[in-house]
Amino acid sequence: MKLIEVQNNQMFKIDDIRFTGKEEFRDTIAELMLNGSRLISLTPVDPDNPKKIFAALTDKNFSVIYLSGCDFNGSALEYESFANDFPQTNYFECELAENYGIMPLNHPWLRPVRKQNVIMGNIPYHFFQLKGEEVHEVAVGPIHAGVIEPGHFRFQCHGELVYNLEINLGYQHRGVEKLFLQLNSDQRIILSESIAGDTALGHAFAHCHAIESLSNIQLSLRAKVIRTVAAEIERVAMHLSGLGGIANDVGFALPSASYGRLRTLAINSLALICGSRFGRGLFVYGGVRYDIDNEIKNSVMENLNTILNDVRQVNDYMFSSVGALSRFEETGIVSKDLAQSIGLVGLAARSSGLEEDVRINFPYSAYRYNPVSMITLSTGDVFARARLRALEIDETLRFIIEQLENLPEGEIKAGSGKTVPGSAVISMIEGWRGEIVHSVFTDSEGKLMNYKIKDPSFNNWYGLSLALRETGISDFPLCNKSFDLSYAGHDL
Amino acid sequence: MGLTFLQGIISIIVIMALAPLFAGMVNKQKAILTGRIGAPVLQPYYELIRLFKKETINAGTSSFISRISPLINLVSMIVAAAMLPVGFWKPIISFNGDIILFAYILGLARFFQILAAMDIGSSFEGMGAAREATFALFAEPIFFFTIGSISFISGYNSLFDIYHSIQLNNVSYEVFIIVCSISVFMLAVTECSRMPVDDPNTHLELTMIHEVMILDNSGIDLFLYQYSSYIKLFIYALLEISFFYPFSQKSNSVGILIFITGSVALTFVLGIVETITSRYRMKNIPQYLLFATAIGILNLLIYTFTK
Repeated sequence: MKLIEVQNNQMFKIDDIRFTGKEEFRDTIAELMLNGSRLISLTPVDPDNPKKIFAALTDKNFSVIYLSGCDFNGSALEYESFANDFPQTNYFECELAENYGIMPLNHPWLRPVRKQNVIMGNIPYHFFQLKGEEVHEVAVGPIHAGVIEPGHFRFQCHGELVYNLEINLGYQHRGVEKLFLQLNSDQRIILSESIAGDTALGHAFAHCHAIESLSNIQLSLRAKVIRTVAAEIERVAMHLSGLGGIANDVGFALPSASYGRLRTLAINSLALICGSRFGRGLFVYGGVRYDIDNEIKNSVMENLNTILNDVRQVNDYMFSSVGALSRFEETGIVSKDLAQSIGLVGLAARSSGLEEDVRINFPYSAYRYNPVSMITLSTGDVFARARLRALEIDETLRFIIEQLENLPEGEIKAGSGKTVPGSAVISMIEGWRGEIVHSVFTDSEGKLMNYKIKDPSFNNWYGLSLALRETGISDFPLCNKSFDLSYAGHDL
Repeated sequence: MGLTFLQGIISIIVIMALAPLFAGMVNKQKAILTGRIGAPVLQPYYELIRLFKKETINAGTSSFISRISPLINLVSMIVAAAMLPVGFWKPIISFNGDIILFAYILGLARFFQILAAMDIGSSFEGMGAAREATFALFAEPIFFFTIGSISFISGYNSLFDIYHSIQLNNVSYEVFIIVCSISVFMLAVTECSRMPVDDPNTHLELTMIHEVMILDNSGIDLFLYQYSSYIKLFIYALLEISFFYPFSQKSNSVGILIFITGSVALTFVLGIVETITSRYRMKNIPQYLLFATAIGILNLLIYTFTK
């Protein structure tokens, strides 16, 4: 075999990766993808010397991650693109080309990922354009009318109907991946919490897992449960916020206000645990900084039970309103086949009927012992994405309350350790939006050499583009909110 | 004659002065119903004052159309307001056939607004203009089938006379009032860009109809547009309230009482409707408007069968 298999969060030696020639690399990866694996990471091992690239693919049926490498061995930095046969690799290849100048040959549509109007450093790029009579172009952003993140959207429309939407991001690029290599361990957690403001806990979770695996730190069960409880409260809060946003985008004032009120309860619960409404400062290497005592537990339980009761009524109200349903149903459809081929993850994938949930497919932390249920819907429209949030809130609240009732005893923080030299780890987490992947490599001295982050938004922005095809342009804000993707998480 | 003229003048002043208050009250109702404190009821006045003080910036690509359109809008609204009876007072402009003038003076305002939106050349505004023009096409018959059918039944064709022909002691008239007030309400919602046709509070350019047309306006121009949209809302509110005056007993105090309670009640209705409905999908709006037209046609049928 040209590849090795690892588990989620399992440390491996960089030397164990088989770096093969281009031909063999191509055959290996193509075969994996033919068998239903999905690409989660494509990066050089050493960013300063991008002669060897590394690919990680997941197989959810066997809960394994396949690793394979390619050594350019002095030849030109180019390889045959996979994107013609496997559209899911499209954006990964664009990113590799933009960051390191590694050219995918015969790529169908090489476009900028975080830069504007330029590919491969100096080749000008023009937006796809529709020509003909009665065709018009609408450009939205990067500065928007509301207080939202910056992103540029190019619509090619025929009347009210969208033919193509091209999304150009990168306005929030802060160089997060590079900063990880420069900062010390205390600063790194703070940085990981700021990758995407709405997934502070998700990214901190993935980062801590990666470093703990590389340093061989074992966590107590109590610490694991507190971490998962906090991460799940974040999920509840963001799902409530998402539902509120969806209601607001169809001008449905009553549910919008009610979801907003309930979200406050959820984030206030996080504040009770760690002092920050977004959960910042809770995670440390080896565990958590704050314990949950009985008093906090009871207040949090009280909050969650209120949410559990109230959210059912609000859901019943919203999902039985004919007006709202007529907006949600059959708007922005992504079919299951399409979702699979472009590699959607998380909430959007589950709404299209794909069983993509890292908590279940690649269980980590407390989910190893206390599983959650996989919830999928099949229609792939705005309704499915909204309804799935409602269903997940129920399931997640059940999980949190169960965990809090049976909180195991133990230390909340384990001792620290040093990162092992010459090794690497793939750390996957199911954030509220979907699969977060942190791929971390250390050099021969044990320092971080490469830190690669994949936010679920990286996969799903293209899904939004496709959802908009043949959909009214006035439904764009609704579709956009139903995906609720992060600009900062994509731009890094 | 002198007194009637004075009453007419006072009517316009009342409409112009109270229009922003009416919009403010609707917003306040909406806020209370969704559990918020909300902006003060006088907020629209503050907004107007703020806009009045601001510098006006025009798009470099715009022509004189953009300059004159805001003023034409406001003037049209004031002329339209001058045709509406407040209480039992005769409006300044009242002559045979003024319902046609009323409908098309509002049409003139819309025409110039659409022109001005296209004049700037932004793709957003072109989109908004297209939507406004399309939906106006469906909204116009509502007015004529509703007010027109009462005009046909009563034999009058001046707004003031039409309303005065309404007599509450006649059963078929009571049915008319109910039916007409429904379709006028739907018309008001459409014309004034409110839920469920348009969402006045959204920040999403791509879903807007009316708001997107004035995206590039600022300062005095925006002041004029905003003020005329407040007046427009109040004009349609008056159109609705006027159905409920008991014209058989004309007394000024009763007129003022109905005017006030009617306006307040209408803010309640608007507030509730805007809280519990979601916006229609853009392509379903014509259906909604045709439904209102059908109600107007129903009027004529009722008359034919109850005569």
